[in-house]
Amino acid sequence: MEKPKIVTRFAGLADSRSLDTYLRHDGYQALHKALAMKPAELIELVKASGLRGRGGAGFPTGLKWSFVPKDAPEKYLLCNNDEGEPGTFKDRYILELSPHMLVEGMIISAYAIGAQKAYIYTRCEFYEEIAWMEQAIHEAYRHGYLGANILGSKFSFDLDHYGGAGAYICGEETGLISSLEGKKGQPKLKPPFPALSGYLNKPTVVNNTETLAVIPWIVQHGPEKYRAIGTEKSPGTKLFCISGPVKRPGVYELPLGYPLQKFIEDDAGGLRDGKTLKAVIPGGASAPVLTADEVAKVTLDYESMANAKTMLGSGAVIVIPEGQSMVELLKVTVDFFHHESCGQCTPCREGTGWLSNVMHGIYQRKAKLKDVEKMIAIANNMEGRTICALSDACAMPTRAIATKFGDEIRSYIQRGNHG
Amino acid sequence: MGIIRVNRPAADRNAFEAAWGYVTSIAKGMQLTMKIMLKQLLKLEKSETLEWPEQPATYSERFKGKHFLTQREDGQVRCTACFLCATACPAECIFIEAGEHPDHRIEKYPVRFEIDILRCVFCGLCEEACPVDAIRLGPEYVMAGSAGDKWVYTKEYLLARPQLQGGIASIKVENDKHPAINKIASVENNKSVVRH
Amino acid sequence: MSKQVSFTLDGQEVTVPQGWTVMQAARQEKVAIPHFCWHPGLKVAGVCRFCLVHVEGARKLEISCNLVVQPGMVVSTLRDEVKQAHKWALEFHLLNHPLDCPICDQAGECGLQDYYMEVGLYQSQMTRPKVLKPKALDVGSELVLDTERCILCSKCVRFEDEVTKTGALGIFARGDRSIIGTYHGQKITHQYQENLVDICPVGAFTSRRFRFKQRVWFLKEKSSICPGCSTGCAIKVHGKPEMRRYFRVKPEEDQSVNGHWLCDKGRMTLEHLNPEARLMQAARWQAAQQAWEFSPQTAPFIRELAQEIARLAPQDIALLVSAQYTNEEYAEFFDYFVKQRGITQVYQWREPSEARDDFDGLLLRGDHNANTRGLMAALKQVGIKAKIGDQLEKCVAAKPQLVIALSPEISFTAPSLPEQLAQLNSLARVSLWTTHFSASQWTQLWQLLPLRGFAEKIGTVTNYQGKTRVLKEAFPPVASEVLAISQIIAGLHKEL
Repeated sequence: MEKPKIVTRFAGLADSRSLDTYLRHDGYQALHKALAMKPAELIELVKASGLRGRGGAGFPTGLKWSFVPKDAPEKYLLCNNDEGEPGTFKDRYILELSPHMLVEGMIISAYAIGAQKAYIYTRCEFYEEIAWMEQAIHEAYRHGYLGANILGSKFSFDLDHYGGAGAYICGEETGLISSLEGKKGQPKLKPPFPALSGYLNKPTVVNNTETLAVIPWIVQHGPEKYRAIGTEKSPGTKLFCISGPVKRPGVYELPLGYPLQKFIEDDAGGLRDGKTLKAVIPGGASAPVLTADEVAKVTLDYESMANAKTMLGSGAVIVIPEGQSMVELLKVTVDFFHHESCGQCTPCREGTGWLSNVMHGIYQRKAKLKDVEKMIAIANNMEGRTICALSDACAMPTRAIATKFGDEIRSYIQRGNHG
Repeated sequence: MGIIRVNRPAADRNAFEAAWGYVTSIAKGMQLTMKIMLKQLLKLEKSETLEWPEQPATYSERFKGKHFLTQREDGQVRCTACFLCATACPAECIFIEAGEHPDHRIEKYPVRFEIDILRCVFCGLCEEACPVDAIRLGPEYVMAGSAGDKWVYTKEYLLARPQLQGGIASIKVENDKHPAINKIASVENNKSVVRH
Repeated sequence: MSKQVSFTLDGQEVTVPQGWTVMQAARQEKVAIPHFCWHPGLKVAGVCRFCLVHVEGARKLEISCNLVVQPGMVVSTLRDEVKQAHKWALEFHLLNHPLDCPICDQAGECGLQDYYMEVGLYQSQMTRPKVLKPKALDVGSELVLDTERCILCSKCVRFEDEVTKTGALGIFARGDRSIIGTYHGQKITHQYQENLVDICPVGAFTSRRFRFKQRVWFLKEKSSICPGCSTGCAIKVHGKPEMRRYFRVKPEEDQSVNGHWLCDKGRMTLEHLNPEARLMQAARWQAAQQAWEFSPQTAPFIRELAQEIARLAPQDIALLVSAQYTNEEYAEFFDYFVKQRGITQVYQWREPSEARDDFDGLLLRGDHNANTRGLMAALKQVGIKAKIGDQLEKCVAAKPQLVIALSPEISFTAPSLPEQLAQLNSLARVSLWTTHFSASQWTQLWQLLPLRGFAEKIGTVTNYQGKTRVLKEAFPPVASEVLAISQIIAGLHKEL
């Protein structure tokens, strides 16, 4: 299978972050092209490319843009570079390769939706990436890609970045907006959706870094070329971050529809130290786990994952080897969500705490066998009941592990009960 | 609806018995009285009559007599002034005035807790309604008196009168105080204790 | 009229104005949807996730408080999955609730208790220790906060943000460690603190004034009108008639005047209803003993008054009237004294220092008399021209032989009442009709007649807008010797 390089085309280049390098590789050509187009044409172009949000939910980007009212005087574009999903490290890689890719993508996107101001919301832990990004923004300002009347057009646009304190919930679209507004990072009630009333109650589009970074390529090469990559419903490439005991962990750009098994075994070099595969979490901590049998059947695209009752998420493939205790894994997962729940909605606030509480009981072997069923019942009643998806993000992996590895958890409890 | 047939004594009993039957009945009754009197005089049978009040009578411990309030481990009143006994009371004989306890872990306690014993019907509903085992009906049954003001039992009287030998600890100790500050008490204390 | 939308709610066709939510429609149709965080007077937060309903065609259950009615929508609150969801939502709410109902003032009117009986009734599955949080915190002069009982519905935070705009409260920390609190040890200082107690669905906020005084299930409530100022908020007085005591005042929803709220001053009016502050029996000043002589018999006092009225010419008699009585009382009072007895000297009794046009922006007005407009209308009715203002000094200066005075009822509305009474002392005979009495401050008046308090009478007052506000229900008076104005006038009729 061919592996086209779109986001990773700067990998391996010397001084890849500099504007010179970027310009030498057709940098800001797409911007020239885009500014010659009408914003509506640009939105149609992105729609035609079939690009879907790379942050996790996979919402069609062009469609999202088209929700923004055309006549609103003040609009915002926000880049979600919070990257809080455990197991994910792709967005920082983009900044590491070429922050200009993101800057150009944001200028084009802002032009398409008519935003005059954009922010890149980054977690403060990425201090190196922030420095590179800042440099890129400065360079872009100096060369007239940002600021008033970009490249001589009537379009003026300002770009700034904002450092978040690293709460998981601030990676959620509306949580990010709250945080950016200077409030406590809590998701907002929807409707109204951010496209109508987001940042400062103005129409706002929030896109993931990777989504924005591929926009220049799509504009430059045309949507057909992008659509030719990947599958019918999931076109294009995506960055996948593989972690766990594989021989070559890291970030890989793969066309969507790539077999998961092949990814683990060929690209990442298989498991190291002669370990065998037990399970895989395909899309970050919030994605339901796949057993080794299921891994062989799925491909890396939104539909195949949905059929397997899990999700592609942010593309964080976490490989779990045989011998890894699922009790420990679930405890860590649930503790993470318990710690990160914002506490706004009751089912999530209490549910994550309860799951963590039950899980600690199981871990200390002070539990009953029926606690496994109790956890599934709690998870079922947390899912789909809250403002944002954090509750689901906790419920789904819990239910998947408690269902698929229920016997392991039960025997763990029993070993404790028998001393 | 069904009909129940009741066997009634024949109305036409013989006239003699109707007129003089009571004499034979009296004689029968006196016969039993005499029999028992003679037996007891000859000490063939123990008399059930007590020379009360010189001879004390003991009732079952479960007898629902005079009320008392139980104590916490430190001797304070167990009652949290929740008014559930006053609510349950059919005779409306319980008066409570609640107050803020200086100890924040207890928060609420009865400043006044009074039972108008003349209205009480000793139903024991207060005991059942109590969520913290604070009020119980004890085995004391002597409640006769002459002075009017003594008919309203005060909190102090209900908590520690001479008959209670210093008061009675509650069987509930674990929730004595807010567990955030006070760790759960040991299980050994978890039973009713009469202090001597 | 705005556009109407029709939809189906539990099989019934319901029509509501466009833009209404399902929750609002259900409230209008009296369909009970359990909720904690929704309040008709506050913005939608959608955080308790309790008001879930089933919408035909929707992927999952929706919260009705943020679900705008769409034409043709089919909503059900009765399906099993909805009931199951409600049960679970309640279980989540009760998970870390301390269940200290025996010492919680909210018990009896608590959302958690009510909904447990309505939609809960499950066996708790929580077997692990609960999260413990600080209790009995002092957050304001009228408030005690128990963060452990709190279910974080955020109504209090929204009240502070949207209604009083003081923003004194916030939710700190996150997840199940979240607690409601004030910023940096500050306290809530505004005049609307007890509204937080009203809107709190659990016992997290309790009222310092009402705290531990009585269990709510013993209280009877009667609809009345707040006598604290000219706004005339609809209130409910909660009392225990068998104890002849009043325990609290709560607002009653009235969108035309007070919405859902009531100020703390309005709640303070309660203190003037209880026996400690009341004149319970008629009294006369015994100059020899320098003391008040109280009498359970009011008839002799009325007879004395009647004799005085008969003895004196109408021009020697003056009426001194405060603006805190009902329209009906004024009508009767003036009808008798002005029309029938021909008394023409009528003076207003008001607080001289009052800032009549003050307004705090929400409810409380500077005119602390509930019925200023009603009094002016009543005076006009009997042909007396008057301007609003204190005329007590004028009355004293006129040196009438007899003054029949209707005293102000609520003492905070008349801070200079003792000095004003001292001025009246110089007059020969003052028959003061009053609800309250203070033995330490009041001396030397000819006679005092006990009147019924605002919760003990029905009638109407006219508020600052000119709206007629109805005191709908009355408690029995605190003592049988306490009289209505009509009773005194009937007594005078009999004597004369």
